[in-house]
Amino acid sequence: MSEVSVRSLTIEYQTSAGWLPAVADAWLDLRPGEITGLVGESGSGKSTLALALLNAVPAPGRIAAGTVELAGVGDVTRLTGKQLRKVRGGALGYVFQASQNSLNPLKTIGRQLLDLGRSHEVADLRALIARAKDLADRMGLDGDRVLDSYQHQLSGGMRQRVGIVFALVLNAKVLILDEPTTALDMLSQASVLDIVRKVHDENQLSTLIITHDIGAVSEIADRLAVMYGGRIVEDGPLLDVLRRPSHPYTRALIGATARIAGDVDAARALPGRPPDLTTVARVGCVFRDRCGFAVETCATVEPVLAAWEDGGRRRACHVEPSTVLSGASGTPAAVGEPA
Amino acid sequence: MAVTTATLGASPRARRPALLAFRTAVLRKPGRVVGLAIIVLFALMAVAGPWLYGRLEIDPDAVYAPPSAKHWLGTDFAGSDVLQEIIVGARYVLGTAALAALITAVLGTGIGLVAGYRRGFTDSVLMRITDFILTIPAFPLLIVLSTVWDFSSPWLMGLVLGGTGWGGMARAVRSQALSLRERGFLEAARGLGLSTRHIIVKELLPNIAPYVAMHLLLSTIAFVTAEVGLFFLGVVPFSTTNWGVMLNQAVFSGGALESPDALFYLLAPLSCIVLLTLGIVLFLDAVDELFNPRLRERA
Amino acid sequence: MIQARGITRTYQTHGAFTGAHAVPALRGVDFTLPDGGAVSFIGESGCGKTTLGKILTGLETFDGGELVVDGVELSGLSARARAKYFRRIQMIHQDPYSALNPTRTVEATLGDPLRMRAKEIGGDPGKWRERAAELLTLVGLEPAAVLPKYPHQLSGGQRQRVVIARALTVDPEVLIADEAVSMIDVSMRLGILSLLRDLRTRLGISLVFITHDVATARYVGDGGELHVIYRGEVVERGLTDDVILTPVHPYTQCLLSAVPIMRGLEEPGPDRMAPIRALDERTATPGCLFEPRCPFATQECALTHPTLVPLGGDGAGVGSAAVDVGDLGDGAHVHACLHPAARRVVGVEIGAASA
Repeated sequence: MSEVSVRSLTIEYQTSAGWLPAVADAWLDLRPGEITGLVGESGSGKSTLALALLNAVPAPGRIAAGTVELAGVGDVTRLTGKQLRKVRGGALGYVFQASQNSLNPLKTIGRQLLDLGRSHEVADLRALIARAKDLADRMGLDGDRVLDSYQHQLSGGMRQRVGIVFALVLNAKVLILDEPTTALDMLSQASVLDIVRKVHDENQLSTLIITHDIGAVSEIADRLAVMYGGRIVEDGPLLDVLRRPSHPYTRALIGATARIAGDVDAARALPGRPPDLTTVARVGCVFRDRCGFAVETCATVEPVLAAWEDGGRRRACHVEPSTVLSGASGTPAAVGEPA
Repeated sequence: MAVTTATLGASPRARRPALLAFRTAVLRKPGRVVGLAIIVLFALMAVAGPWLYGRLEIDPDAVYAPPSAKHWLGTDFAGSDVLQEIIVGARYVLGTAALAALITAVLGTGIGLVAGYRRGFTDSVLMRITDFILTIPAFPLLIVLSTVWDFSSPWLMGLVLGGTGWGGMARAVRSQALSLRERGFLEAARGLGLSTRHIIVKELLPNIAPYVAMHLLLSTIAFVTAEVGLFFLGVVPFSTTNWGVMLNQAVFSGGALESPDALFYLLAPLSCIVLLTLGIVLFLDAVDELFNPRLRERA
Repeated sequence: MIQARGITRTYQTHGAFTGAHAVPALRGVDFTLPDGGAVSFIGESGCGKTTLGKILTGLETFDGGELVVDGVELSGLSARARAKYFRRIQMIHQDPYSALNPTRTVEATLGDPLRMRAKEIGGDPGKWRERAAELLTLVGLEPAAVLPKYPHQLSGGQRQRVVIARALTVDPEVLIADEAVSMIDVSMRLGILSLLRDLRTRLGISLVFITHDVATARYVGDGGELHVIYRGEVVERGLTDDVILTPVHPYTQCLLSAVPIMRGLEEPGPDRMAPIRALDERTATPGCLFEPRCPFATQECALTHPTLVPLGGDGAGVGSAAVDVGDLGDGAHVHACLHPAARRVVGVEIGAASA
């Protein structure tokens, strides 16, 4: 049973060239006790997809089609006004991309917490504070001190943890983290990842981590979904996807990651540059220009995300999985300038 | 293939002539067109006004006449046409404001940029001078100077207003320059060994330009109101036709506040000031886009 | 190319009530950067590595030690004379979004330094366009497509390439890359790293690579030396591969442990560890700076400040062993720990382990 089920979700943005899809026909499930990593380059639509889970796609964007079913609540895309506010922060905890900078610099953390409680009409504010302290303590922060602090008195890693406290203090069952480690150094990143895993396990959450860093997410996620050009191109259990990437893009992404172990010379940068809303291919496969496996069909028919193996793996590619797995790739058909 | 063509496709607007960029920015919103039209209208009045109506006709039979086909806005105490007076008077008002704005732009921006970029001793000296300028009250100074100088030409008045009015701009520009100074591209320019002149003119200035332009347009409004105020109060002797003198005459000689006779004589210059302010405020909206390449290309 | 000896930099802070106190950002850093060589500095935020980069490019001053560039000691020179040497050292900034002037096209960004350079070396300033195209091609960009563009029209990776091209306009001998890839998508990082490596081999440019991500330091080329810097002090140094494979200082081990494991492809090292508490720059200690956070600290660590000593041999009683590490040959593995011990903290490739 999924906590969140995204069904054929399409999100469009208004541009000079009309309404263009930033996310096209996305299917995704977040299950209790499972951390899902959503990986993609900048402009792949991963943050837009995450915001749609809150029904918070900013203008000039709109949810054009599809549903986001939240267990016990219903379709989030149909909620408005007060109901929607209750869900945001209530059932769905969201930690924003720049959460290091999303705190009010003029108020202590504790005051901001009270504001959050009041806006959600929490009757027992004392209990709210107690829960926040408890969460903070379990994340290795000094709860009392943190609640009395202003944001500038906290380090980047501490602010990220405060962001998680805010997301979970109203007993959210779903935790969404947008680029939680991007501005952090390695030591802070490791401790934040550690903490996410810990609160996730303790609270039996359904967690979604959005990131461009496949290495960082692979440390803690259970499932991996890979996004490119507004499409989810592959998903499945993390270990399996990393070991046997069945989509050429996943394969290239893993190969392009700087790693501490393994052969330095085997690593290959991804050729070309990621597409954005206006440059993404309108027909055929969105990845074909940077793909080493592309065949003729790729130029005309867009592959759909379909199950291809037992164990819950899906892929959107015309090329046989065995061909991609064996890795007999040629040079990409056409790669523009390096990005 | 598609990648290359797509990236090329995105670039044709990258280097447009400045004039075209100006056109696109203004045409984007009707408010900006109206704003620009108002500013141009007044500028034309200021340039051509005194040539059109060299000497105002005096008609003793039609003193404080109401609006008519002959006199669209009525006449004043001497029977002169108010509309003509407004048009002729625009030169003084706008000439003064333009000169003052120019002085503010050059001195304020220049001193602010150098102080903010150089920091240290240069900064201290320049900022002390700025603080000194900021403490000079322009009104009393003008009153004192009017006993010595003849303010019948707009240039002297502009000189005084501008010369005492650039302090705020210098301070604002300096603080912008100080914060820009720490940006990566300025550190890089210094590291490359580019000359200070290059850095200030080509790297810093374009980034501050929208800020300067906006400040400048707003200070133009302030200069207009300041000089009109001076004439209205009568602290500067009248020697020319201008909107401030008209206001003064309407109120203190025509009794516009008590009787409706001189109403149009009073309202005409007032509306001009309001209209000009409106034009400038409407046009302000376009300024950011004119200087910011990112906003400029947004369709 | 560059020799640094005992570089120190101390900031004076003035609290409103606490009075002035000194915060050391660098506490005597030594290193040698050979012609065409590479030196990497790793450490967490606030360890002084950015200050070092700024000192090396002349954007910051240092208050102790010697900096020798091309055989000339710089602190004796006038500011003007020094600037000439710092010109040969160019910085690649961390943030490609603020490193380019948003109001200027790539063409203008490259054109001005190129014309200036041409005048200096007696070249033909009219040829700057060809040179700009040449540089853009060198950094892997298509000149015709990129020249007329403004920075916001380029991706993060493309911007960083333009930044590198701009640094190359003045024919530098050294590039300082301060977190040059940390703000770029992971998928684009290798491209920039291999470009830096290319510049070393093709143009013989030396590289100072500053980062918090140890993994990226492996990709900047052969023969590189890795310096692990903690609170302004180098605590371990050696060839990059040596330090990564056999780290002996607990701080290095913590940093290496923090590198994420690509599960499925790698296994975590058995001795993986983390500092026992967060960094507090205010604590002053007569002993080892890392002692408050070190999982293996002893009483001795709190009292005796360790200095850099070569790995192996005289591991015991190092406190008194005043070895001038500057005299040790390049690539010697040295560390500043009273109780050095090799621990297996780095992830191991699953295939490689069985092979």
